[in-house]
Amino acid sequence: MSADLILANLLNPAVLFFLLGIFAVLVRSDLELPPPIPKALALYLLLAIGFKGGVALRENNGAAALAVLGAALLMSVLVPLYVFPLARLRLRVPDAAAVAATYGSVSAVTFATASAFLQRAGMSHGGYMVAALALMESPAIAVGVLLARLAQRDHGNGVDLMALVHESLFNGSVLLLVGSLLIGYIVGSEGGSALKPFTETLFPGLLSLFLLDMGLVVGRRLRELRQLGVFPIVGALALPLLNAALGLGAAYALRLSEGDALLFVVLCASASYIAVPAAMRQAMPQANPALYVTMALALTFPLNVILGIPLYLSAIRLLWA
Amino acid sequence: MDTLEIVRTSFLSPIVLAFIVGVIATLVKSELEFPQPVLNAISIYLVFSIALKGGTELAVAGIGSILVPALVTLALAVSVPTLAYFLARTFLRLDIANAAGIAALYGSVSSVTFFASLSLAEKLGAPAEPFAPVLVSLMEWAILVALFIARWRLRRAELNGDLPLSEILIDTLRGRSVILLLGGLGIGALIGESGFRSVKPFFEDPFRGVLTLFLLEMGMVAGRQLREFFRLGPRLLVFGVLLPLFNGVVGVTLGALAGLSLGGSFVLGAITASASYIDAPAAVRAALPQANPSIYLTASLGITFPFNLLVGLPLYYQFATWLHALLR
Amino acid sequence: MRAIKRVEIITDALEIERVAQLLEQHGVTGYTIIRDVIGKGERGIRRGDELSGVFKNSYLLTTCEPEQLPAIVEAVRPILKQRGGVCLVSDAMWVKH
Repeated sequence: MSADLILANLLNPAVLFFLLGIFAVLVRSDLELPPPIPKALALYLLLAIGFKGGVALRENNGAAALAVLGAALLMSVLVPLYVFPLARLRLRVPDAAAVAATYGSVSAVTFATASAFLQRAGMSHGGYMVAALALMESPAIAVGVLLARLAQRDHGNGVDLMALVHESLFNGSVLLLVGSLLIGYIVGSEGGSALKPFTETLFPGLLSLFLLDMGLVVGRRLRELRQLGVFPIVGALALPLLNAALGLGAAYALRLSEGDALLFVVLCASASYIAVPAAMRQAMPQANPALYVTMALALTFPLNVILGIPLYLSAIRLLWA
Repeated sequence: MDTLEIVRTSFLSPIVLAFIVGVIATLVKSELEFPQPVLNAISIYLVFSIALKGGTELAVAGIGSILVPALVTLALAVSVPTLAYFLARTFLRLDIANAAGIAALYGSVSSVTFFASLSLAEKLGAPAEPFAPVLVSLMEWAILVALFIARWRLRRAELNGDLPLSEILIDTLRGRSVILLLGGLGIGALIGESGFRSVKPFFEDPFRGVLTLFLLEMGMVAGRQLREFFRLGPRLLVFGVLLPLFNGVVGVTLGALAGLSLGGSFVLGAITASASYIDAPAAVRAALPQANPSIYLTASLGITFPFNLLVGLPLYYQFATWLHALLR
Repeated sequence: MRAIKRVEIITDALEIERVAQLLEQHGVTGYTIIRDVIGKGERGIRRGDELSGVFKNSYLLTTCEPEQLPAIVEAVRPILKQRGGVCLVSDAMWVKH
């Protein structure tokens, strides 16, 4: 991996603000964003990502989009299938299933950071990558819960199927992302131009603000990592790399462009900490959120955002050349 | 411009689509939710930026051009709540307090409907006059008219005579939207075009996007109200649809007669037709605590607002084009 | 003033609506909810600082007649067992107005 790629990623303001957030917690600063603000920012990010993707989707050709979407769907089903037995080596069934769903699903903010990185590097990507993001949120949740159901057949009770279907499809973040994607697609670039200052000009600034808060959230959890145990820590660092390697193979087989490939790999490597926990607490309350949310939030997210993005890009450049 | 084009432009705007997504989110019971403090901040931002922009352009246009439209708006601010009160008493058979609550809401303006009408007019190539926010702030006086009716009728019925008029007057004047509108207009007029340029990236450029976000939430709120109105019966539905229709037509007509442009008379029709659900309820709750919010809020938010946004606006625009062709 | 039982329930924010429904089924006519409360219990710390909402509790305060109490406690118990949380009962005086 080349040092200038790491540096280029670190000079992404969003990443710097993320580090600032962690730093603020480590020095016990009283820096804090009022709780409604991050929540509103998250809604904004989903709306802007979805809308931009929808507008762009209209201009893309269908064949490449279909291949990417197929691969995305496949990955989000496949990942939980092998993460679950791995996690079962040490974890209870509900926890292992939640971890499987967490790593099969995706993080929109990691995706946004990677696409901001691409933009700064002057590389383009297709609008269908946002559709892939939307597509990868839900299936892993369903697969994870079904795995738990199969493994616990003798207990039988734990899972509420209706809640599961409802939660994976109408989860607030999934709904907003898909809805904005559709709106962007319907209004097209002509109707979307009025929103451009909002969805594009403001985006890097608000993403930085959001990542500052993410840094605070992650920083608060770093101290508790010891309570997590060795197995989950190793898992949270190894799983994104393993998933990225698989994603890399798929992207290579599909001959994606460099920009598309990076986003695809980042999607595979990222873990969900908004949609999955919200769904899990409805569909599988026995799972312990302190385990799977902390893994995704405190370890996998920083790993992907700080080191992952340049690492994956240099691997892509190596392979593609 | 043919009707189909107007309907298409109106429906395919991000604003209306976001509203529909919001309604769907509530209907499927998604846990999507906006934090309340942020919504407050957004609604302040929307009202203030419109007023600020209106003020800068008002400074250029001068006060003289606004006189006749302002008088017409004041006439509407008196007549619309009076009509609404009368209909609410006879057709809906509500008591005095509830009827006055309805009258206050239907007399005053829904800022979101106002914003949506401004952006639709602009998109269809007939932007409204820059002083439109002034008309909105005048129309807000309808709250005062409605509360005055309530006070008068209640005293007559000797139910409750202790609503001092001066307090109602002050309450209306210091209502959030009036302060923001007048304050914004004043600041805008003072700083002028050149002063506005420095805050334009914040107040003007992202405006449409913020409005889209806000309408998503409005869709969710309206969706929640939808469940409510099945309990309140068909009369309220008829009232909530026909009254704005009538008011819209009257507003467009008077606007055209007062010399407003196509876009201007359309926007005047839209604000006449619209019913408030943020500021007027706050005033009503303070002045008429005995009125039932679920009646006046359901009518305004659950029926009239979606009706105006989805059906009313293209209809008023169509009527305005027809009328202007006739008058020419 | 009249002697009644004061019931306080703190549990996962998700469940508080269900708790309120149960209370109503058992004849409780009013209650107060404080949303988004945080704290620490046997299932770990809840900071309420991230977006999934899984680390957030709600607080419900209500009152009931002493004879209503056993049924209410039994209705709430399974939820607390599944989700964690506390239910505290104390004697209180109710100011009639």
